[in-house]
Amino acid sequence: MRPLEILKTTSFRLALAFLLLFGAAAALLFLFVDWQMHDFLDKRSDEWLQREMQSIERLPADQVTARLVIRAKDTASIERPFSLFDGHGNQIAGNSVDYPQNPQFDTPFDFVDLTPVRVHYRGLLHRLPDGGVLLIAQSLKEQREFRETLENATLFASIATALLGLLGAGAIGLGSMRRLDAISDAASRIMQGDLTQRLPTGRAGGDIDRLAAVVNHMLDEIERLMHEVKGVCDNIAHDMRTPLTRLLGSLERARRRATTVEEYSQSVEEALEEIQGILKTFSALLRISEVEDGLRRSGFVDLDVKTIARDAVDFFEPAADERGISLALIEGNDEPAIVSGDPSLIFEAVANLIDNAIKFTPEGGRAVVRIDKHSDGILIKVEDTGIGIRPEDAEAVLRRFYRAERSRHAPGNGLGLSLVSAIARLHGMKLQIDTPVSGTSISLTIPQPAN
Amino acid sequence: MSKILVVEDDIGTASEIEAALIDHGCAVIQAADGKDGLVKAISGDFDAIVLDRMLPGGVDGLGILTALRAASVQTPVLILSALSAVDERVRGLKAGGDDYLTKPFESLELTARVDVLVRRRSGPVQETVLRAGDLEINLLTHSVTRAGRVLDLLPREYQLLEYMVRHSGQIVTRTMLFEEVWHYRYGEATNVIDVHISKIRKKVDLPGLVPMIRTLRGSGYVLDATA
Repeated sequence: MRPLEILKTTSFRLALAFLLLFGAAAALLFLFVDWQMHDFLDKRSDEWLQREMQSIERLPADQVTARLVIRAKDTASIERPFSLFDGHGNQIAGNSVDYPQNPQFDTPFDFVDLTPVRVHYRGLLHRLPDGGVLLIAQSLKEQREFRETLENATLFASIATALLGLLGAGAIGLGSMRRLDAISDAASRIMQGDLTQRLPTGRAGGDIDRLAAVVNHMLDEIERLMHEVKGVCDNIAHDMRTPLTRLLGSLERARRRATTVEEYSQSVEEALEEIQGILKTFSALLRISEVEDGLRRSGFVDLDVKTIARDAVDFFEPAADERGISLALIEGNDEPAIVSGDPSLIFEAVANLIDNAIKFTPEGGRAVVRIDKHSDGILIKVEDTGIGIRPEDAEAVLRRFYRAERSRHAPGNGLGLSLVSAIARLHGMKLQIDTPVSGTSISLTIPQPAN
Repeated sequence: MSKILVVEDDIGTASEIEAALIDHGCAVIQAADGKDGLVKAISGDFDAIVLDRMLPGGVDGLGILTALRAASVQTPVLILSALSAVDERVRGLKAGGDDYLTKPFESLELTARVDVLVRRRSGPVQETVLRAGDLEINLLTHSVTRAGRVLDLLPREYQLLEYMVRHSGQIVTRTMLFEEVWHYRYGEATNVIDVHISKIRKKVDLPGLVPMIRTLRGSGYVLDATA
């Protein structure tokens, strides 16, 4: 455990900041209450002093002394002494209180009586018509005790609050430090290459949990991409090794056996063909990544999907015809289907779909290209009566180099549909592969610009 | 003999291009950077220039092209580029390029395109009838006859044949044919073009006549008028 680290955590600092803020607010509140109470008590005793003074003043002069004498006998009056002095400050009657050191007349004031013990009083002096001075006072002991109790309670409460607050802040800081430790541990394991690790998420669903969940999603995606990249690399290696091995074999055979120029030239011819095939695969890969980079979006223009589909169909018609497959274009309406895109790429996508349809449909079959207006845009659908795609392959066929079991014997590099998928993504098209009982149906939906 | 300037910085690629053009019967002058290329292109009298898009030496391919056209040098230019993006191509052609070829390419593709550029230089002639041997194309009525017999061609077949006749005796590659007639860029066009050509061939090279359309091993055709 690193106690100093706790002090650095955001949670701890936040808790501490709140504690200080709360403490300051409480102190202000206390000061205000104290001040108000003091004021209130002072006023009350001043009023009492004035009231008593008035009631004694109303007495006839001869009764004042008698009244004070009677009152002095009541022990309860020690807290609230009444006393009569002559003009020189000598006590005549009443409770035993010294003449105040700082006499003020007819206005309440604080004074201290030193004999027999030190007592604080609030008192009122009044000069009577006969020259005597009347003192009415109230001991401040009770008031002082009350304030002391209040102050002590407040002090105790403050210390307790501060301690609890610090403990709480520490606990929160510790908790968040543990979370962060767990997260950074997981992160460093991931950085060391263990992509299966995930950040720990609590059940509470707090902000850190939400963040961790988002990061975990990102990690899922990264892991998937890493797998894909690895898969692509493996596939490239595999797909390149096969033709390269053939190339090597045929060149070695030529070296062993060929004796005439014709024989050599024959093997050079074979070698050239192999290399062209390899180059084509590389070019296709590069094209896919070029399309995926989105660089070609700058070449977008408004184009008519129908024109492109017509061009593609009349381009492939002789090839379909030669294979005994009928290729037809069905247009849903007569309006042009204008979308924004790269004409060559859209042609390429449609051409790849038609090419596949022709390639994987046996003689006597049918391939249909449909263009229709759809609620989401323009629908291009290529259907055939061929060998079809198994439902479980529907996603995999979009992967680079993936070749379904049934298509292995046909020529191709397993990149056609990957390219279609990349072109679809570039154009924001939806690519959907349906797997009807017989044949294949692949559709592209191109969003139409709102006009 | 046509004189071709090759502006290419990569020594390997440059010597391949040179070899291909010399084998094709051209005289080749090389320039290895932009500055040298520009100087030679302006001073020399070339039939065509093969120009790499990316060049060291301060001036790149498009810079040379712009300078050339600004100096009213109208030598046809074939741009070579590793960038296949459509807007790259459009920029190249807008700057005054006559054709655009993406690397890597086959030497046949290059020489066939250079050929077309060199011939085009002799100037478009306003003609209404194209002739190649006993094959005749009326450009106004789109009617085609071979040895007096009218051939029944589909519109696309007519366009393909017209292009071949315009360049009779020259090699036209399948990519060139596709780009000329369909105006898209599509790398996989070759096999399908073969089917189109074989259909045309059936109509043009009628039984009893000397075959005119010759397939070149690799990726092209020649319409041989002397056959």
